[in-house]
Amino acid sequence: MSAGIDVREPVEQILAPLPDEEPPRRRFLFSGWHLMLLPLALVMLAPMVWMLLTSVQTLAETEHFPPVLPSGVRWQNYTDVLQLSQFPRWFLNSMIVTVVVVLSNLLLCSLAGYAFARIRFFGRDVVFILVLATMMIPFQVVLIPTFLIVRRIGLIDTLGALIVPNLAGAFGIFLLRQFFKTLPVELEEAARIDGASRLGILFKIVLPLSGPVLATLAVVTFLWTWNDFLWPLVTISSSNNMTVQLGLLTFQGAHKTNTNLLMAANVMSIAPVLVLFFVLQRYFIRGIATTGLKG
Amino acid sequence: MGDVVFNSVRKEFTGQTVALDDLTLQIPDGEFMILVGPSGCGKTTALRCVAGLEKPTRGTIRVGDRVVNDVSPRDRDIAMVFQSYALYPHMTVYKNLAFGLKQRHVDKAEIDRRVRAISTMLGLDALLERRPAQLSGGQRQRVAMGRALVREPAAFLLDEPLSNLDAKLRVQMRAELKRLHTRLAITTIYVTHDQVEAMTLGDRIAVMSNGRLQQLGPPQQLYDEPVNLFVAGFIGSPPMNLVRGHAEGGRVRAGDLSVELARVPNGDVALGMRPEALVLASDGLPTFELLVDVVEPLGDEVLVHGSTAGTTVETGAEEEEVPMLLEDARAPITARFEPGVRFRAGDRFLVGVKPDALHAFDLRTGERVR
Amino acid sequence: MNARRIVQSDHLAGWAFALPAIVLVVVFGIVPIAWSALMSFQRNNLLAPPEWIGLDNYRAFMNDPLFKTSMVHAGVYTVLFVPASIAGSLFVAIALNRRIHGIRLYRTAIFVPVVVSSIATAIMFLWLLDANFGLANWVLQKFGIGSPAHPVGFFSSSDGALYSIVLVTVWGWIGFNVIIYLAALQGVPTELLEAATIDGAGHWSLFRNVTLPLLGPATLFLVVFSSINAIQLFDEVFFLTKGGPGTSTYVPVYYLYTLAFQQGIAGYAAAIAYVLLAVILVLTVIQLGVGKRMVYYAS
Repeated sequence: MSAGIDVREPVEQILAPLPDEEPPRRRFLFSGWHLMLLPLALVMLAPMVWMLLTSVQTLAETEHFPPVLPSGVRWQNYTDVLQLSQFPRWFLNSMIVTVVVVLSNLLLCSLAGYAFARIRFFGRDVVFILVLATMMIPFQVVLIPTFLIVRRIGLIDTLGALIVPNLAGAFGIFLLRQFFKTLPVELEEAARIDGASRLGILFKIVLPLSGPVLATLAVVTFLWTWNDFLWPLVTISSSNNMTVQLGLLTFQGAHKTNTNLLMAANVMSIAPVLVLFFVLQRYFIRGIATTGLKG
Repeated sequence: MGDVVFNSVRKEFTGQTVALDDLTLQIPDGEFMILVGPSGCGKTTALRCVAGLEKPTRGTIRVGDRVVNDVSPRDRDIAMVFQSYALYPHMTVYKNLAFGLKQRHVDKAEIDRRVRAISTMLGLDALLERRPAQLSGGQRQRVAMGRALVREPAAFLLDEPLSNLDAKLRVQMRAELKRLHTRLAITTIYVTHDQVEAMTLGDRIAVMSNGRLQQLGPPQQLYDEPVNLFVAGFIGSPPMNLVRGHAEGGRVRAGDLSVELARVPNGDVALGMRPEALVLASDGLPTFELLVDVVEPLGDEVLVHGSTAGTTVETGAEEEEVPMLLEDARAPITARFEPGVRFRAGDRFLVGVKPDALHAFDLRTGERVR
Repeated sequence: MNARRIVQSDHLAGWAFALPAIVLVVVFGIVPIAWSALMSFQRNNLLAPPEWIGLDNYRAFMNDPLFKTSMVHAGVYTVLFVPASIAGSLFVAIALNRRIHGIRLYRTAIFVPVVVSSIATAIMFLWLLDANFGLANWVLQKFGIGSPAHPVGFFSSSDGALYSIVLVTVWGWIGFNVIIYLAALQGVPTELLEAATIDGAGHWSLFRNVTLPLLGPATLFLVVFSSINAIQLFDEVFFLTKGGPGTSTYVPVYYLYTLAFQQGIAGYAAAIAYVLLAVILVLTVIQLGVGKRMVYYAS
């Protein structure tokens, strides 16, 4: 089953052409649609805007009803968060885990995806179906046993618990295999004739051609890992080893009434993903659209 | 009353592309008009203007007795067959045919009657419950036509409807189209880039290039009396042979050829001769020497490709830049002979031309001077 | 064997390349799936060795009111979330599918919520919908709904808590659906719309007879995908309501979590996980079955 759509071209269109790339037939400076789109956009952004505003308010302002706009900008909220909690540590933990998982996925899923796409080996098709099957299974089914396995390995309450199980995901294997299959085999065969090893072909020919799909995988993996909550919740107990998401929970518990600080912490937790989003918007969107294409 | 009139129509797209430049054209009720020209000449734009899918920047378009510039395509009483057929993929053939009538709230019994009549006429009866994906190219094409005809429009517009069919089917469909038109007598505007299609189908042909109408007339007239170099080079396959020459005092010299042509003003000219106008040299005919390059026996005729002294002339109707693998300063010549001539590559022989069959074009303006 | 051909049998290389990933998927994917099935037939408190109890866990569902409640809530939530997010996103996608000035900004505004984590979203809405100081209540009171003494308790009212969670999650997911729909909308061939216009279709008829049917595959995908996600609701419940007030927002995965990691009843929790899996499978099969008949796929 697929969404019946080919996303390679539409993805670019979704991001709308820049003015100098392609002049559209009609370009209304004012169109009736603005009357609908603007309120809609504002409503969608309202929670985030409100969070931002609250994050620079004083405590007294937050406890005011009706709600007020901040009279000044209390940047101290942010430093307070950093000092009153282990936020820097949590941020670092999230960064480490996410970056390692992303890089590992890129490497291991490339290797496996290439093998599934281009090498015939004993049991290949059966194994691939098994890999696909794990994609279909919802996380709560594997949650408890995975916890037990991680505990058996002795990684509970360490960053390892967050990293090791996610070093290679079925999604990445599937995504890359599908992509590699679309590349013309002749390129690799030509390299083979020139004497390249399989590993060499992968790294020197195939991967350089796979920029967009690798970026998509990286972005999707980053997003999922950074935002993950349930798994850290289950495996991490000491504050030292918490990720940002888990840390937010702790922070909220400890500073329930300091809404301004909580919002500041929230802003900081979202910031990396937002930055990544704005820089790599294209790949986020392709990642989402690709989900609509998978099996 | 289904006549269609273009009145000084100009169409510009953003970016200063002028797709149509002052097009004035009258298509009387019931005529089969062909718009033909190379890609980019504006023929599809002109068609879309009639349909209402494009709006003229200047000028007016009339369908029937009213100006339709500001009338939406729905209300213009026209029907169109797209190059890609644009059949509704999720509807059966029956529903595809009925869709237009349903939109206009025609009652069910009448819809059924008309759909079945068209379906029988086009041979679609067995396919009514199928979906487009289950049809062959030719069948889809007929459904597309049926969908247009079932509405009994005032004007019937076709945008290269046969170009996606294989050659044999194309020939078949051409004949069917002609038959249909004779039977239904609807004003038809047909766009194509294939001049063979144009010649075989049209009552009149409008040759277009760069947004301008080059010549308008019945097929034979365009063939026999091309009004400029472009039309001369575009109509006719194989194309007209052209050699650069010079006219002085009623005599034109081009390459080897030297011919008395009265009333040709002095100056540089292009001399044109159609392949069938060339004969084996005989007394009294102006001649030139042909160096044979390739001989193509086609069964009912023989095409001899070669070259003669002189240089050829570009008409603007050439499809692509085909580098001529000839020695410098020779003009390519194609001659058409009855089967039976025996020539081989490398042969040289004298070719004669009947002066009546010669065309001359002013080299500067491209216009015919004789 | 042709040394030139790339796709050929090379068992050593194949396994060497794929092994790390396969090992990980097996250890952290296949094994847990099987183990979980095993656990569902055990009594397991995650500490002591488990004991085999056969189908007792599965029989226990019948007598567990909390289980039934959580399943009902999952159903209600899904029935609310899926249509709302799909219909809403279709509407938004249509609005966003035009070339006007600034469309890029509008699209970005709609997409951004998708990248925000569920926890961050929950925090935002916890504050926005706060009973005493929240912006939402202030706006509502301007329309005469509620008052400072009796504000609308979004998460503190047992009637409204589940709906509030619907609101929060729809906000977070609409951008995802919009992207899918935008891609599908842009896949509708222009000539088809032109042909329909010439045939006499007006705007609404164009949408109903041409666009909507061609959006069938995308809609089916979204229905299935959204349903699967909806049934697995956890993060927002954990953070915003802890299943409450009372048990009004108890959902299966949250129940599962509390059973396994707070009460040490892991065997039963595994059984619940498998029941949930079965429900998802059945639902998906039904949806795909209905979909295949109603949805047209362009060949």
